[in-house]
Amino acid sequence: MFLTRSEYDRGVNTFSPEGRLFQVEYALEAIKLGIGVQCEEGVVLAVEKRLTSPLLEPSSIQKVVEIDYHLICALSGLVADARTIIDHARIETQNHRFNYNEPMGVESCVQSICDLALRFGENRNSGEERMSRPFGVALLIAGIDEKGPSLYYSDPSGTFTQFHAKAIGAGSEGAQTTLQEKYSKTLTIAECQKLALTTLKQVMEEAITTTNVELAVITKADQKFKIYNKEELATVIQTLE
Amino acid sequence: METLKLSALPEKDKQQPISHGRFEAYVDNGGTVLAVAGKDYCVIAGDTRMSDGGYGIQTRKYTKIFQLTKKCVLATSGMQADTIALQKRLKSMLESFEKEHGKPMSTPAIAQFLSNTLYYKRFFPYYTFNLVAGVDEQGEGWIWTYDAVGSHERVKYSSQGSGNQLVIPLLDNQVAKFNQQIVEGNKDVSCEQVVSFVKDSITSAGERDIYTGDFADIVVVDKNGVHWEKFELKLD
Amino acid sequence: MINIDFDNIEQSQPTLYDTLASDVKFLNTPHFELPPNANPGDFLRETFDHPSAPKALEFAHGTTTLAFVYGGGIIVSVDSKSTQGPYVASRSVKKVIEITPTLLGTMAGGAADCSFWERELGRRCRLYELRNKELISVAAASKILANIVYSYKGYGLSMGTMITGWDKTGPQLYYVDNDGTRLHGQRFSCGSGSTYAYGVLDTGFKWDMNDEEAYELGRRAVYHATHRDAYSGGAINVYHVQKDGWKKISSDDCFKLYQKYYNIVPINKPAN
Repeated sequence: MFLTRSEYDRGVNTFSPEGRLFQVEYALEAIKLGIGVQCEEGVVLAVEKRLTSPLLEPSSIQKVVEIDYHLICALSGLVADARTIIDHARIETQNHRFNYNEPMGVESCVQSICDLALRFGENRNSGEERMSRPFGVALLIAGIDEKGPSLYYSDPSGTFTQFHAKAIGAGSEGAQTTLQEKYSKTLTIAECQKLALTTLKQVMEEAITTTNVELAVITKADQKFKIYNKEELATVIQTLE
Repeated sequence: METLKLSALPEKDKQQPISHGRFEAYVDNGGTVLAVAGKDYCVIAGDTRMSDGGYGIQTRKYTKIFQLTKKCVLATSGMQADTIALQKRLKSMLESFEKEHGKPMSTPAIAQFLSNTLYYKRFFPYYTFNLVAGVDEQGEGWIWTYDAVGSHERVKYSSQGSGNQLVIPLLDNQVAKFNQQIVEGNKDVSCEQVVSFVKDSITSAGERDIYTGDFADIVVVDKNGVHWEKFELKLD
Repeated sequence: MINIDFDNIEQSQPTLYDTLASDVKFLNTPHFELPPNANPGDFLRETFDHPSAPKALEFAHGTTTLAFVYGGGIIVSVDSKSTQGPYVASRSVKKVIEITPTLLGTMAGGAADCSFWERELGRRCRLYELRNKELISVAAASKILANIVYSYKGYGLSMGTMITGWDKTGPQLYYVDNDGTRLHGQRFSCGSGSTYAYGVLDTGFKWDMNDEEAYELGRRAVYHATHRDAYSGGAINVYHVQKDGWKKISSDDCFKLYQKYYNIVPINKPAN
């Protein structure tokens, strides 16, 4: 990585000689840790909440949000940017229900989020562009549809990829290696939870508690998401030791 | 003898100004469609006569049934031009849905989507009376019946169009067994029986409705797809 | 350093492609198409009010609906007949519209108008819930609906509906119609059979009746309306709104109720 990337990082639509968009890459770096693991039975999302001050009210930070009953999303990066994306996704899923009387497919929802991610640029007077810069947020989108549970990762460039297990944000390289070693397709949902939390624990600087992580699951049996409350989270954390 | 004088014919005092033509948005081209759903199939019939809104017959080979997907057809009576416009619109939206979502639209989704499409023309409606018939994701046969602006209901049998009021009582009695004191027989009638019953129904409508006749399309939708058959009605 | 604003220089006239592209985009997004020559509210009447016009479009209409608040919650009771002019289009219409798991609406007037706009209301209520992390109040939901229909004033919508639910302030009942009227109240009935239903409802109403009595009152009120109003009939559906949401209580065919209430054996019942 260069310390300064000279003049090629000034505009969002200028490629560097190596074919990179630095503004987009800067946005990718503004991300904190989140982990998603998918198995036959469902999907698990686990996210670290970085509590910068003891005076901060932990419940005011929400890192796993509901898009629809069957779709949730873990966000890391600029939370304010994420709100725009989440609201867009919520409107899309509700419009889909209104138009077709069925829940929206997971991939279609991710696609619509990524369509939004491209609407930036410098000539905002005409055309589709609404924003002056790309979103500084990466998302792990977990959902369930007729194809079964699935996990997607979308980054600020508007690219999306499907994963069985994925770590995003600061320290994600190490976490991803751990996931790669320990993941198998035959995991149960309880094992997925454990895998996600132990991986998170390894990378986190502080000890894992009920206030600094958030855990959510979508199971095939329920077809509906569930965000763990403190008591449920405590019982899961106890099993880690 | 005095000759009988005829009084002059009344004459218009003055030439009336030419009245400009009204905007006639609609013409009813007539025709009957009906559909009966079984356990895992649907049978749809529609005659192919197209009238000019009065007593004239414009064509004897106008098909009122339109295939939307492999699992679903749309049967429409009413105005032919509006019908074509509606079919075209649905077809293009179904194609873009399939590209966008990577799967064909399911039959219940089509039913909801047609309702919305009709309602978006609430203030300038399509003069069309629709039936959507097909099998759903579980493979069960269903009919959705509509009014002109998209009020819809999921049913097991229905009919629309000029012969509607002739056919419906027959279907009420024979399919739903309405008001029968002794309802007997097994409920799972075979597809062949329903096809033959549907042919009788559309023939009966052709007997008593001047806008129904010539030929009938008999369409069967089941898990294997959509099968078409032509059937002769009276040509008079 | 001088900032130069290039925006004004670069603005150019839209090309033919731009206008075509925006036309296509407009046509692909849902929108209401309006008649080319007339006021939308008068269009259908003017079109069919002519000897050479084709058979008038008859929209499906709904009829007797009622809802009332009592000690145990709210009862919603409706018939199930849908008519297009004198023709009975259906005897099995769901006139209670399940807007969200906590909100109910009823259908009287144009069936398409009611079901479309109450679906739209459901969409907005769900978005409200997602954005605000709490359920919408009945007052707010009914206001959204009233504002929508009021913005279509003169377009010829036909809708008379009761919006009910149980929110933080307890059981709530609102009446909303196509004029934009929105009333908060304890007892409402709507549709051509409503006058008959009101008669039975107001006579039999007691605040502290038990649930079974309340169901029976709702059922009877609509039953007597179906008996005197030819546009009402089919089956009678009763719903009960309680603190934890609504539930469907019963669905009874009018003819069966007639036999029950008057203890009459069908004339052509086969001899045993």
